[in-house]
Amino acid sequence: MYEKIFESTKLAQPVVAGDSWQHLCYVSTWDAFLSQSGGEWARVFRDGARVKFGKPSGSYAMLGRVKGFPAYWSQWTFKVHPAFEINGLPNPNEVLNPNWNIGYSLGPSSSSGKFIDDVNQVYLHQPSANRIDIHSLEDGRKVGEIVHNAGEYFAAIAWVQPGQVAGLCRTSGKVRIMDYLSSPRVLATGRLDPFKVAGYDSAFHLFFAIGTDYKARVYCREAWPAVLSAPVFDPPTVRGLKGNLVKTRLTGQDGEPCPGWWVHWELADAGGGLRGSLDNYVTKTDTAGWAKSRYFGPDDNQPGSGKIKARVVLS
Amino acid sequence: MGLWHLNTVAPCMSYIDQGSCVPPPGPALWGPLGLTYNGQLITCPKHYRQSTNSVANFFYEPGNDRIIAHIVLNTTYWPSWDVQRYEFNAEDGAWSNREEAMARQAWIGIWGAAYTQKATMGSFNKIYACRNNETKIREVMWEYAEPATNGWWVDPYTWNPKSIYGYAVVNRIDNLLAAAANWTLDCWRNIGATPERFAQLRLPNVLNYLAYESRNYCWVITQDGVICKADYQIPRWEMMSTVQNPEADALKYFITYDTKRKRVVVFRQRPDAADGACQHQLEFYYPMVSAGQLTQPVPVTSLRAGNRILLAAHLVGDAGEGVTPYTVEGEMLEPVDGRLVTPFSGTELNGRVCFQYQAPEEACTETLKLKVTVEES
Repeated sequence: MYEKIFESTKLAQPVVAGDSWQHLCYVSTWDAFLSQSGGEWARVFRDGARVKFGKPSGSYAMLGRVKGFPAYWSQWTFKVHPAFEINGLPNPNEVLNPNWNIGYSLGPSSSSGKFIDDVNQVYLHQPSANRIDIHSLEDGRKVGEIVHNAGEYFAAIAWVQPGQVAGLCRTSGKVRIMDYLSSPRVLATGRLDPFKVAGYDSAFHLFFAIGTDYKARVYCREAWPAVLSAPVFDPPTVRGLKGNLVKTRLTGQDGEPCPGWWVHWELADAGGGLRGSLDNYVTKTDTAGWAKSRYFGPDDNQPGSGKIKARVVLS
Repeated sequence: MGLWHLNTVAPCMSYIDQGSCVPPPGPALWGPLGLTYNGQLITCPKHYRQSTNSVANFFYEPGNDRIIAHIVLNTTYWPSWDVQRYEFNAEDGAWSNREEAMARQAWIGIWGAAYTQKATMGSFNKIYACRNNETKIREVMWEYAEPATNGWWVDPYTWNPKSIYGYAVVNRIDNLLAAAANWTLDCWRNIGATPERFAQLRLPNVLNYLAYESRNYCWVITQDGVICKADYQIPRWEMMSTVQNPEADALKYFITYDTKRKRVVVFRQRPDAADGACQHQLEFYYPMVSAGQLTQPVPVTSLRAGNRILLAAHLVGDAGEGVTPYTVEGEMLEPVDGRLVTPFSGTELNGRVCFQYQAPEEACTETLKLKVTVEES
């Protein structure tokens, strides 16, 4: 689970009762999000402030586009159009896929997001809940695939940085950061709370979601710690008068590593008083989530038992 | 860029007062007062002899430097309707022909208002309009909305693709036409010879009115009061804003552009008051920045003890457009454990301001208050 750094008190809800959000996209020139429902265009800010400025028309379905702009697929022409910077509306005068029509079976919907990279001429399509196919925009042929095994269609595929996208699952909240260009694969995994719509803020590298309760939530890309493993010695045999490596691993809800957290070490009495000492009493977790210290046994050459505690302060 | 609200004239006009009203169920068609149409207009508590049926045309007339509205009225007098021309001083919105209109002397005839609608100024300071009884777009007379004798016209129905429009801005100098029927602004070039539809702009909502500004720009206002400026030569959207205080009870919005003062004028059609009084209003806007709201500061970096934390907020206009240049001041409210590294920040083009906060080594709860001073006109 990613660290939630903000939850709004404002409710970002469509004006008309019964209307629901279908798509959301970060617009880098606004530094805000364009949200589309059945009857509303709205600009949504990170604090949940929402400004309606129009009403969708013309059967355009939003999809993610390179550089953090929306694009629109027209179900009548099978063409994808860019958006105007000022108001994020579809620009029918430009076509991003002039050579290949993206048909019904490949077009985006509110339940299955798509992505177009007109710079590198590829289109990302979800043929199943576990895979993304990469199509060439020049002739439509499949040029690669990413097996992500999320088990749910990504409601949105949002641009992260050149060659990378984030897939966001609405019900499970699962997130997959994927490389679709140099070596197609899953780079990182994570999770958000279940949401109505969500997007990726490519300016500050955050996730932004409008939850099922219409609260806006902001998550940073660092996993929030859930489990601190019991300290173990490596190697397991402890010897006196020697620096014995002891380590513990901090992980998130889904086992993802939590780097950069301070782990506090402590020697505890296991019945025979405090025995030995630690090299470091505060160490930071590494990129894999491991925090390490060294234990020095007593120099009395007597066997005995001791206890080492590790803890992390979350807030 | 947004729209700076200059002033509002409310109400900007009024109806002829009957001076008395008839208790419900109202006057009979034939009664002591003679023949009475639309008896509901003078049924207590209402006591006016007129009410607005529709606003046919609203435009800036540069020859007389006036804002003109052609309004179709429901009346209690024969023949139950009327069409009057209301003229307003473009400087302050004062009703210039009050005496004439109240004496029903500003009658323009039914055909102008019935057949000519959504007129707006165009090239050579002429007034142009689409027509209801034909597919042509014509130069019309500002006084009566009737086609000008030997006036300019084009017929988009003869073009490829065939088109019928309800709104149009005419740029005869560059041979351009920007026109809309509802959701799309079609941009045509070479309209004097072989017209070609070279581009389209999707509108954000149902169009309510279209107004000419110059050889490059036009303005649109949608049914919910959103105002957009478009460059119809490129074409592209140039800015988006909205009327001030878009009220739920506004019936329609009409827009025109005062080319002398370089400002936008909006006519807001509102329902009559309980006593039947006219409540329409004129609003004047200058196209420049106008702050509407300051969003709450939101952390955009991980919240860890000892970290330098970045917080972002936005100063935006009524349509969410960023406004600049403004300075937003930050202040930590007591009790303060950390330190606000950035006490003030200037807005960027998208209205964003960023503040840095140095968190202490211990856990704490902090409150950041933001403040911006906006000068009133």
